Amino acid sequence: MNEDDAMTEPDTSTSLTQDARRAGGTGEEMIRCERVQKWFGDFQALRDIDLVVGRQEVVVVCGPSGSGKSTLIRCVNRLEKHDGGRIVVDGIELSDDIRNIQEVRREVGMVFQQFNLFPHLTILENVTLAPRQVRRVPKAEAEQHGMELLERVKIPEQAHKYPAQLSGGQQQRVAIARALAMKPKVMLFDEPTSALDPEMIKEVLDAMVQLAESGMTMIVVTHEMGFARAVADRIVFMADGQIVEVGTPTHFFTNPQEERTKLFLSQIL
Amino acid sequence: MSEIKVHSSEYRPPPPDRPPSGTRSPGVWVRQNLFNTWYNSLFTLILVPAIGYVVYRAIRFVLVTARWEIVEVNLTNLMVGTFPRSELWRPWAAVAILALVIGLGLGVTARANVEAARIRGIELTTSWQQNARRAAPALLLVAALVTFVRTATPLILLAATVVLAVAGYLVGRRIPPHRRRWMHLAVITGLLGSYVVVTQFDGVSLDRWGGLMLTVFLAIGGIAMAFPVGVLIALGRRSTLPAIRLVSVVYIELIRGMPLIALLFMGWLILPFMLPVGFPTPGRTWRVVIILLLFTAAYVAEIVRGGLQSIPRGQYEAAQALGLPPWKTMRLIILPQALRNVIPAMVGQFISLFKDTSLVLIVGLTDLLAVARRVTQQPEFLGQGLHAETLLFVSFIYWVGSYWMSRESQRLETRLGLGER
Ligand SMILES: Nc1ncnc2c1ncn2[C@@H]1O[C@H](COP(=O)(O)OP(=O)(O)O)[C@@H](O)[C@H]1O
Ligand SMILES: [Mg+2]
Repeated sequence: MNEDDAMTEPDTSTSLTQDARRAGGTGEEMIRCERVQKWFGDFQALRDIDLVVGRQEVVVVCGPSGSGKSTLIRCVNRLEKHDGGRIVVDGIELSDDIRNIQEVRREVGMVFQQFNLFPHLTILENVTLAPRQVRRVPKAEAEQHGMELLERVKIPEQAHKYPAQLSGGQQQRVAIARALAMKPKVMLFDEPTSALDPEMIKEVLDAMVQLAESGMTMIVVTHEMGFARAVADRIVFMADGQIVEVGTPTHFFTNPQEERTKLFLSQIL
Repeated sequence: MSEIKVHSSEYRPPPPDRPPSGTRSPGVWVRQNLFNTWYNSLFTLILVPAIGYVVYRAIRFVLVTARWEIVEVNLTNLMVGTFPRSELWRPWAAVAILALVIGLGLGVTARANVEAARIRGIELTTSWQQNARRAAPALLLVAALVTFVRTATPLILLAATVVLAVAGYLVGRRIPPHRRRWMHLAVITGLLGSYVVVTQFDGVSLDRWGGLMLTVFLAIGGIAMAFPVGVLIALGRRSTLPAIRLVSVVYIELIRGMPLIALLFMGWLILPFMLPVGFPTPGRTWRVVIILLLFTAAYVAEIVRGGLQSIPRGQYEAAQALGLPPWKTMRLIILPQALRNVIPAMVGQFISLFKDTSLVLIVGLTDLLAVARRVTQQPEFLGQGLHAETLLFVSFIYWVGSYWMSRESQRLETRLGLGER
């Protein structure tokens, strides 16, 4: 299977298999990845990744473990440095220039599988830290906005507790609020529900659905196919560091083209 | 997807099972713990009389045979060494400042704790018993001093010091939260002020200090400076700049590979010749302080490094993803957690520094231990073998200091751990 054929030949790109290089959402470009390469030593984790995410678009990334999903979204906010190709976020190209990186990180929020809340700070402090320290928002204003966000994710009453006093689902919702506090233009989610007990998954997905409905641009790595079906504009299927197939949920679930996609879906659904 | 009920009540782990009822009569306890097996019985039968005998001899010595007059006569020597007697008001003023500042600090933290806990819905009450237990080591020391004081003036001044400390505590408890940031400044000013009041304004140079006063100065000075220096070196060891990393590693490994005594000799004998010509050589005591600080800083750096390693990568990544620049990530996210994780090791290091200050007697400083050795050579006590009395007395002072630090570190640990894993 040669991915290049599917990507570079417009003729084979039918209305069902969409071109990953065409922005969805409003059509305006938000994130552009061009032939992105990533190596870990001798191991190539990403090869020739082409993906454009449009403003207000929700892209779900799925694929088997080790296929490079995390690496891809971590390249978007420079938690990993890509080794080849270009990544442009909201018009800023990621380079070694530390100011560019800081600027992109301010625009891009991230939610991790393991929540990664700051255990020595209260919930409200977790949420207000970055706005105050990075955007220099005054304390009172940051706290007011923080409380609004905590209300949005439905945990204002936990504001003065510490992360360890909250359940996993609550912690992950705090993590979402913390990322939103920076008023990002893009949100990245790396398997946000994988570390949660089943009964807590829904409350987190609910917050994410709400966020998507509010028009946030999102890249979500997840295996929650119900979520993908309901909110995703496009689904990206990755394997072995490559994008294998891109399509709308309808296309993806009813008429996948690639064998590997079919195999993956048969295992996961 | 919109009609999902959100769990908003606080998550609480289930309460642990109660241990099986713990009320047992003393007789049962003795049988279960001291005579439950034949070998345990044997140990009990041998150890109880042995310990009893030692304790009996110790108490008998302290209360009956000991000739405490050597401590009584030399109390001032033990406290300040050969410090000029006409200037004794200066150390007293320093003690007063320290008492006030320490009381203030304790008061402020006590109130801050109660308030922080209240926000989280926990009502922290400090009973007077708890406070008394907390102050017990200091009170023990005061009691020991009072026993040996023979004139009225020191007693009055001592009482005034205690009153000042309590007053500071009460004032500290009244300071509202938004003024609290000034407290750090007050404490630092107090420490500096107590040094200034003794040495400046026609004061007494450091090289004439002695006794407990010198010991306390070496310990506080060493700790207060070794901590920031050690943290900086630990950060240097993780720096991205190879030169800084190399310097830090070489420094740590070099210092940790040398005995403190050798370093003290070097500071005494070699350091003056290594300084550039014309560079003012620090006084002998300052050289010792510098050596103690450099020595302890290397160990502090290693302890802090361990703490830094205990912080998971996710913490760095979360901070980076939020756009925090590296030094803010370190200062606000990583260091607070790392330092908290190493409080016990750190305080252990400081206790060890406190006791190691007694080594300075080999480079000719008259610290507490040095005075204790010397007074047995006085004409009136020479050859009477009154070593036990003086050594016991100074050991008691070292013990009070060490025990107090250890207790406060335990408090700090539990307090900072409130509501956390
Ligand atoms: N820091 C790293 N060092 C070396 N290999 C890595 C590192 N991070 C990821 N990898 C490797 O890259 C591949 C892709 O990883 P990842 O993006 O985490 O996959 P996914 O998120 O799809 O499960 C995996 O084979 C993984 O072992
Ligand atoms: Mg992953």
